[in-house]
Amino acid sequence: MADAIETTLPTQPLEAMKGVKKVPLEEFFTSGHRTCQGCESALVMKLMVKASGPRTIVLGSTGCMYVANTTYYSTSWVVPWMHTQLGSSGSAGMGTAAALKVLMRKGKMKEEPINVIAFCGDGGGADMGLSAISAALTHPQYNFLILLYDNESYANTDIQLSGSTPYGAHTTFSPPGKAKRIMHRRWKKNVAGMLAAGHPECRYVATVDASYAVEMMNRVRKALRIGGPTFLHSLDPCPKGWDYDPIMSHELGELAVETGVWPLYEVEDGLLKLYGRTKQIAEKRAKRKPVRDFLLKQGRFAHFTDDDIEYFQAKIDEMWTKWLIPGVIPFHTDLDRDQPPA
Amino acid sequence: MGRLFAVEIVYRGIFQKNLAKNISRGVVLAAHHGGKQGISFGRYGDSPERNGIPAKSFAVIGTDEETLQEGMAKYEPKEVDISIVVDDTLLKGVESWAWYGLQPINRLLRPGGTLIVTSMHGAGELIPMAHRKETPYQLAILKGTPSFSGLWVYKDDHTDVRVLGAIARVLPELFTIADVEKAILEEWSSPLKVTSARKAAERITTRVVSPGEGNPEKPFEFELPKWHEMREGIAIPSIARGAAMADPATQQTGGFRPARNPTFKKYTTRTMRPVVNFDTCVKCTLCWLQCPDSCFDVTPDALYDANMEACCGCGVCEAVCPVENCITMVNESAFADNASQWEAWKKDKPAYVAWLEEKIQHKPERSHGFRYRGQYEEQLPPMMEIAGGAGPEDESGKEG
Amino acid sequence: MAKAVERVSTAPREHDALISGSEAIAVACKLADVDVITAYPIRPYDTVMQYVAKLVSNGELDCEYIVAESEHSQFEIVKHASAAGARVFCGSSGVGWMYAFEALTVTPALRIPMVAMVGNRALDDPGAFGVEHNDALAVRDLGWQLVWVDNAQEALDTALIAYRVAEDRRVFLPCAIACDGAFLTHSQAQVKIPPQEWVNRFLPAYNRGDLLLHPDNPITVAPQVNEDWLMEIRKHNDEAMKRSKTVIKEVYADFAKTFGRDYGNPFFEEYQTADADVVLVGMGTLSMPVKVAIRRMRAEGKKVGFVRIRWFRPFATEELAATLSRFKAVGIIDRDFSFGSPYTSGVLATEVRAALYPAAQRPPVLAFICGLGGREVTVPDVQRMSDMLFSAASGKTQPLTTWIGIRE
Repeated sequence: MADAIETTLPTQPLEAMKGVKKVPLEEFFTSGHRTCQGCESALVMKLMVKASGPRTIVLGSTGCMYVANTTYYSTSWVVPWMHTQLGSSGSAGMGTAAALKVLMRKGKMKEEPINVIAFCGDGGGADMGLSAISAALTHPQYNFLILLYDNESYANTDIQLSGSTPYGAHTTFSPPGKAKRIMHRRWKKNVAGMLAAGHPECRYVATVDASYAVEMMNRVRKALRIGGPTFLHSLDPCPKGWDYDPIMSHELGELAVETGVWPLYEVEDGLLKLYGRTKQIAEKRAKRKPVRDFLLKQGRFAHFTDDDIEYFQAKIDEMWTKWLIPGVIPFHTDLDRDQPPA
Repeated sequence: MGRLFAVEIVYRGIFQKNLAKNISRGVVLAAHHGGKQGISFGRYGDSPERNGIPAKSFAVIGTDEETLQEGMAKYEPKEVDISIVVDDTLLKGVESWAWYGLQPINRLLRPGGTLIVTSMHGAGELIPMAHRKETPYQLAILKGTPSFSGLWVYKDDHTDVRVLGAIARVLPELFTIADVEKAILEEWSSPLKVTSARKAAERITTRVVSPGEGNPEKPFEFELPKWHEMREGIAIPSIARGAAMADPATQQTGGFRPARNPTFKKYTTRTMRPVVNFDTCVKCTLCWLQCPDSCFDVTPDALYDANMEACCGCGVCEAVCPVENCITMVNESAFADNASQWEAWKKDKPAYVAWLEEKIQHKPERSHGFRYRGQYEEQLPPMMEIAGGAGPEDESGKEG
Repeated sequence: MAKAVERVSTAPREHDALISGSEAIAVACKLADVDVITAYPIRPYDTVMQYVAKLVSNGELDCEYIVAESEHSQFEIVKHASAAGARVFCGSSGVGWMYAFEALTVTPALRIPMVAMVGNRALDDPGAFGVEHNDALAVRDLGWQLVWVDNAQEALDTALIAYRVAEDRRVFLPCAIACDGAFLTHSQAQVKIPPQEWVNRFLPAYNRGDLLLHPDNPITVAPQVNEDWLMEIRKHNDEAMKRSKTVIKEVYADFAKTFGRDYGNPFFEEYQTADADVVLVGMGTLSMPVKVAIRRMRAEGKKVGFVRIRWFRPFATEELAATLSRFKAVGIIDRDFSFGSPYTSGVLATEVRAALYPAAQRPPVLAFICGLGGREVTVPDVQRMSDMLFSAASGKTQPLTTWIGIRE
């Protein structure tokens, strides 16, 4: 030992699926979880392990995808799964990957590449666990993926606002009232952009959306194949917290991208690429839809006035037209004053 | 010792959470106007609620404080005087967050108690949906479209107060319609809602259900293991890997059927189910790929068969299907079993097509929550009309 | 102190080293071939991690050595590494230990046989570096095994014993080794380091069995529960902690055979108790001034003895009650506090009193709060406590709790 450069274990040769017909039939996250009807995050779980395959260990931090999927004596997981604390997805991924690495190196475990995926919700990723995720992404010697499923609130505990809740949304901690129509005046954190910018040794960061299932699964595969710690941020429409008819889950996932609210991009070894519908919008091959089409299909924005919608639209426009890297890095060359409606 | 009353509200998680809370609070407030003490609570184990998964709320009322204590610090009463079912598909039984196994809808109902259900169906259709009970009970039907909305925007179709009016009619010992009126004015300051409650009390229909009536099936149960029978380290076995399916006709194997959670099946979450026209299916995979519940079995002939023990009826498959009328969401009350549609189609295609044609007549009013701003305002007048709630003729006593 | 006994085999030799208690535990990590170690700085425990870092950088210890970004992550990383089959080591002090508290609560529940070192340190505020035992004691109800040592040799030996006990399938509970800040963590003494062969014979490989998180053993670990399940799950831990007492006895007996050092009763050390009229009870390095004071008082004809508790969890209830009920008065020295507790004393006094309650003979029990924040416990302090015990033994009323060594 005592080598200067630490080696990483090889990864599984998970190739990109070329079209839906190439998607494997087998499920590793199956039926009988207790998520809401139309739960997009449950779909993310299913697609995530469908992409990673059987030789995978999943660690799940507290949140809907813990409480709803795994109720004692009952599970929906085919692959090994373990709970981790709310702020611990980074630590859980790293601890598991470190154990596999050292046990294989010392001959205490059969050598083989095993995928390690730790997931967290926006409470566990954008709020409490951010520091542990950030630390984990600075350890290139371990192979693991952290997947943040972002349903934009603490949906498991009763829909309380998180650092990832969009401006103005109705939550149990931000109810619109007589004195304050808009209780939640913070803008959503830009987690993927922040992590990509701040962790130069992390080889892969991407945003995904399960309404584009094959593209999403291929990004899971790339994140696992490339090695080292990697990060995916998935935006998940939530019928319960966003307040919409569950039949619209897929549509809202598409609308988030089509309105430019959720840009799809990946940063691979420092190279930024937009992909999918986002790329088409950026290249003016598709028109960016107005955010109104997205917002007014959700009960959490039902209290919005036209001014609120305009403000929201202006912030999204700004993201596309004024950010140093549109949709990714929110630096302006000229700082404009941010004026939310009264 | 005085008398202890218990009222149970069985509802669809999230969709009817605010409705159930309104009813449960209303019961306690009305009883209070009748000189009784009560508490209102949701079943703690049902929380955090999920869209559609059956949940319960309770109102426990004592004729005096000491009697009330008998009903306090409990998750649910052992027996109830009234079960209120605010969505008729719940009659098939409930599998909730709070326990394992299927609980018949009338399980907690005391002998002679009343099951109040909001439905567009008559007793002849509703009674066979519920499991048989050893003792007779009363079925009360409150005509109306089930009231579904979401957490933030409430569809105020007066179902809450109409149920209160119905209770005053079937259990006047608990509270009277006059008590209900006072409670409504206290809680909502709405004379219109008072009118709806009065009309409901007048129009409710009742009928005794005898022990021989209802679904004869024994609901699936679960026995809790002893501590030394459980694996240490809070570990349980994962679900087994799935396997290829066999064609019932040709015995050809292929496709894939996932193994499924044997303990929690989720189908009582369903208010509607997908029926599939296998003849028009283009095998695009989208229903299977986008299903959050992994409910589709992939058949040897590469079709997708929604497994009715696993489907929770979200409707995403219908939404993503590119072929018109290939997947149709149909009211769950139109079905008596969870049999495989694909197997039926394989066995007898013309018979299946006929069955399909009949079933898709039962397309429900598709309103499982918020779809666009202004939707509830559009839906309210026809709903009130069907239900016989307060209408334009009652506008004179407009809300203040 | 442990007695030297004849060893079975003497082929490989132990060697002497001048090291601190922290360094002794780092050496134990090397001997135990620990797989994953996580570090985060806080005084005084982090001396162990500084030494581990040296062992790793010099190639003497092959492990994943991860510097975490907080104590919470530090403990979570090793928790998960242990679940995946790795032998792990961790540690902290004072408020660092408290920062990790959530991770500390889940570790025993998950039956993770982690060994941790607590360099005992006063809790903030105000910031203080000196020893108090409240940090380690905070986990006393959670299923952690807790053991206090009073010298560097015992630290090394106990670390090896801790791995053997914790990783015994009958136990599978974490074990924290509490070392007094400064007096053990920052003070070097001569320690006998055993040869690797002896350790290999004593300590089998960690085998997580059917709880291993691995694709070959697909399990779901720690799904959420409701009121139908938690009592049964808690009962598992209760039984494991009870079994730990049996395993501790077996392991100490085997340790004596393998390493030639016999600690006698593993749970507590008795010093000059055979003919004592009164005894003091305490944990950790305050044993040093207490023993000195006892020798001086015995020269004056005062028959004082001392009971040093090693294993606080599991608590040697019956053994301790049987021993203490022999004396005319018992004084408990708490290097901790429990504000508002029974007789406003400390944790140890409350527990010892509870253990004594069913005893046929119940001597008067006096509680002493002493040596907080690292203040030295002095020989005159011990003499004062002993005098109060003699007075109580003679039937005179004494205050049930007394702060010793405070300026007043």
